[in-house]
Amino acid sequence: MRLIGFPFLVVSSLLWAFSASASTRPHYGGTLHVEMRAAPTSLDPADSNQSNWFGLRNLSSLMFETLVSLDDQGKPEPALAISWQADSGNQRWRFLLRHRVTFQDGTPITSDAVAASLRRTNPTWKVFSEDDTVIIERDSPAPNLPAELTVPRNSLVKRDNGKITGTGPFAVSRWDPGKRLLLAARDDYWDGRVFLDAIEIEMGRGLRDQAISFEMAKAQVTEVAPEQAHRAAESVQSSAPVELIALVFSHDLQPPEDGRQRQALALSIDRRLLNTVVLQGGGEPAGGLLPDWMSGYGFVFPVDADLVRARHLREQVRTVPVWGLGYDANDPLARLLAERVALNARDAGLAVQPTVSATPDVRLVRIPLAGAGGRISLAEVAGVLGLMRPQIGGDSAGELYSVERAMLDTNRIIPLFHLPVAYAAAANLKNWTPRSDGGWNLADAWLASGKP
Amino acid sequence: MSFRRKLLLVFTLTVAVSVAAVAWLVSAMIRRAFEKSESERTAALVAQFQREFDRQGDDVVRRVEAITASESVVHMAASLNAAAVADSSGYFDLARAAAENYQLDFLEFVDEHGIIVSSAEWPAKFGYPESAFDRLSSLVGHAAFLRQEELQDSAALGMFAVRATRLGDHPVYVIGGRRLDKQFLSALELPPDMRVLLYQNRGTHFAADLLVDASSSAGGTGGKRPAEKLAALIEAATQSNREMSAIVHWTPDQTEDEIFEAIPLRGAGRDQPLLGILLVGNSRRSYVELKRKIQASALIVGSCGIILAVLLSSWAAARVTRPVEQLAAAAHDVAEGNWNARVEVSGNDELAKLAESFNRMTVELLNQKERLIQAERVAAWRELARRLAHELKNPLFPLQLTVENMLRAKESNPTQFEEVFRESSATLLAEIANLKTIISRFSEFSKMPQPQVQAVQVNGVVQRVAQLFEAQLRAPGRPAIQCTLDLDRDIGPVQADPELLHRAISNLVLNAMDAMPEGGTLTLRTKCVEGKAIIEVSDTGVGLTPEECERIFTPYYTSKQHGTGLGLAIVQSVVSDHGGRIIVHSQPGRGTTFVIELPSDGNESRNEGVISTA
Repeated sequence: MRLIGFPFLVVSSLLWAFSASASTRPHYGGTLHVEMRAAPTSLDPADSNQSNWFGLRNLSSLMFETLVSLDDQGKPEPALAISWQADSGNQRWRFLLRHRVTFQDGTPITSDAVAASLRRTNPTWKVFSEDDTVIIERDSPAPNLPAELTVPRNSLVKRDNGKITGTGPFAVSRWDPGKRLLLAARDDYWDGRVFLDAIEIEMGRGLRDQAISFEMAKAQVTEVAPEQAHRAAESVQSSAPVELIALVFSHDLQPPEDGRQRQALALSIDRRLLNTVVLQGGGEPAGGLLPDWMSGYGFVFPVDADLVRARHLREQVRTVPVWGLGYDANDPLARLLAERVALNARDAGLAVQPTVSATPDVRLVRIPLAGAGGRISLAEVAGVLGLMRPQIGGDSAGELYSVERAMLDTNRIIPLFHLPVAYAAAANLKNWTPRSDGGWNLADAWLASGKP
Repeated sequence: MSFRRKLLLVFTLTVAVSVAAVAWLVSAMIRRAFEKSESERTAALVAQFQREFDRQGDDVVRRVEAITASESVVHMAASLNAAAVADSSGYFDLARAAAENYQLDFLEFVDEHGIIVSSAEWPAKFGYPESAFDRLSSLVGHAAFLRQEELQDSAALGMFAVRATRLGDHPVYVIGGRRLDKQFLSALELPPDMRVLLYQNRGTHFAADLLVDASSSAGGTGGKRPAEKLAALIEAATQSNREMSAIVHWTPDQTEDEIFEAIPLRGAGRDQPLLGILLVGNSRRSYVELKRKIQASALIVGSCGIILAVLLSSWAAARVTRPVEQLAAAAHDVAEGNWNARVEVSGNDELAKLAESFNRMTVELLNQKERLIQAERVAAWRELARRLAHELKNPLFPLQLTVENMLRAKESNPTQFEEVFRESSATLLAEIANLKTIISRFSEFSKMPQPQVQAVQVNGVVQRVAQLFEAQLRAPGRPAIQCTLDLDRDIGPVQADPELLHRAISNLVLNAMDAMPEGGTLTLRTKCVEGKAIIEVSDTGVGLTPEECERIFTPYYTSKQHGTGLGLAIVQSVVSDHGGRIIVHSQPGRGTTFVIELPSDGNESRNEGVISTA
């Protein structure tokens, strides 16, 4: 009896160990089902007329690549360019291209194709090709050019009679604009074939529908609103705060009283309570433009409400106009925030009226912070405010702070929160973690067998 | 207006007034009946609304109680009771979800301090105090009540209920309600032609956007029915805080009219604030259409009655008025000179007696006229005899004296007889000639010739007369008479006998000369007035008295010592024969003017005769 029982125990142990190893070991195959709110009508990363920045960026990263990418610390690292160097004035940059990189149609990339793609998206740049090198000349010193090249619009795109092709790990199999995208893994991808066979992306899906699809295992990756992230904490993965919610005034400061009134509004808003209640702790109260992880000094900007000082500033204003506070009517969170801001403003003696008018006095906006470093993000914010793009020569936090402080001092913007990007991922999607900037990182992800 | 028409008018008016009175009476009765029915319908609708209100209120209470007992609320209450420092942030969205699940428009969770934990209607208000918490907390367990809920940018009227959790020492108040809106009003089962509107009493003045009209999609307020027309009724009901009614005229078309009953809706609490006005509208279309039908029927019946009345009245009036009309016609004939007019006498009534009397009167008048003519003839013959005697006596007396003188001379002084005979013969011949003249004048008057008319230039005839008498007017030994011609050159020819016209004007000139023994001015004037040729002969002589003017054209009448009285009679005869007329204007001492009017181009006037003014 003992002689029979022992071999049985050994065989059973070996079978169990093998099956356990098979379920945790990466393997090829499977189709990843993804749902997203964005409903782009074009896959061209240079198309700047589309909203939902994060969704488009993630789509773009599957099909297109840039010369330079960012590591988890936000520092440039080689992508299609294996190295780069600048002259002493940071005006002329040389990028050495990687070899054996092909477009999805099988043609190898050339420096001419890269130069043509960059010239199209950056008409003011002077871009030349020279053997395996691409040379970029700028009118003024551009120390952050490698970081600028990481943004999706600078992806390498081959355009041929309206058809666009990239060098990314996936190629388009089927494309119903605004509805569905089916991507197939490339066997000839320069960095090796990814584990997934295909990705099917359903577009234009609301958060509620996505949550239902996720619960019903129809999708393995869905978007989650930050304020809902705590409810399914086990399956939700969040990025670092990469989105700024802020109030942006439509006009420059008028008389000095206008500035006091804007300061009073900024002081009247109870960001911490809003973050606790409305965002359910999913965001970070923001006193500055850049999140602390990006700038390192975000904590120096006060975020607490100071109603006494707000009322004091309000009393210095003789006549208080009614400000129309615009918000995106399709965004319930924006509406709730706008109404709360109006209530807080009323406590300070200000008159703010939430509206969906196209020309409000002040707008509640979401500004994606590119994740390409504080300099690029400040430039993006300046673009939203209609200010000149700041020129930051040095690399120190002090210079970044000076620029941010100057932008805040314009009183054109009142930061409210920094929000992360959150995704729900099914348990059978393995080895997938969103990047710190919220980007998808599917290079090493794989699907475990069985239903998700 | 004729007697028949008067009679007809009286009959017609009598019928019309009778029909109008009946129509008014029927209309008034129907209006009273309609108002009574309308009042009953309104009362029924108000009762129905109250039942519906109570039913909805019970439903709200049930739902609020269900929410209060729900697992999520109990969990929340337990959580808030358990924690030393209550953290309600995790429940701020609970009210919205519960309101959706339980189909409530309003839902708030309020802690024991009156702080809003979660609000479905105003989610951003978490953490703020509920302004009416004291009053609301006292209504826990009560039935549903009306309340005005403050919202983000407005306020809404709703039916609310309040309940509280019984877990622990720290109750959570659940304040839920339903909006009194179009949907609520639409749920009311209304009779045809009735509708309900709700006015939310906010502010001091009427505002159209506060009026909720469940029927706005189908002929409600707006467009042809501006809400402002209800303003007066709503404001009156608001101020008086009691039920009122009024008729609203939406358009000039009365079928669009509605009568509205305004019912104040009050909230809970001691002060019972006026939160809204319920407007129960009842179309007056059926009433107006019925009224119009009655009016149309009355019009048709009245018209037919009037037509029938006219016909019958005509027949009756004809029967009554025919004898009167015959009498009137006969009287008119008599007035026209037909003395033989007679009226047919039929029956034995007053009109028959009147006709008989009229016939007797005309016979009597005719007899009197014949007697008068006879008398006038006798008088005329007497006047003629007097004149003849007078005229003939004057020459006969000298004849007698002359013959007697001759006989005396023959007997007493034959030697001088021859001389006396010669002188007497001359005298006799002269007087005989005078007699002949007198006789010839009478003969001429009796033998006035018929005028031989032809186109005659009036100015020419007048000028010839003036030339004829020019020498006599300026004859030595008598006061001079100035002759003035004032002739209208535009006067046209007249159809006349030139000789007779010349003679008539000559007679007038002779008459004027006789009237001016001391001299004066003779004016001959022609002119054309209204198509008539006017000839005027004016003198500045002694003039005539009114009595003389009246009789001056009578044959053999004269105011002169030696006149025959035939001159002006001849003139009047000539003018009449020409279809004209002669008029005399005179004042004693200021002269006389004879005016002859002759129709030009042969247009004869039948208004012959003489007109005299003095």
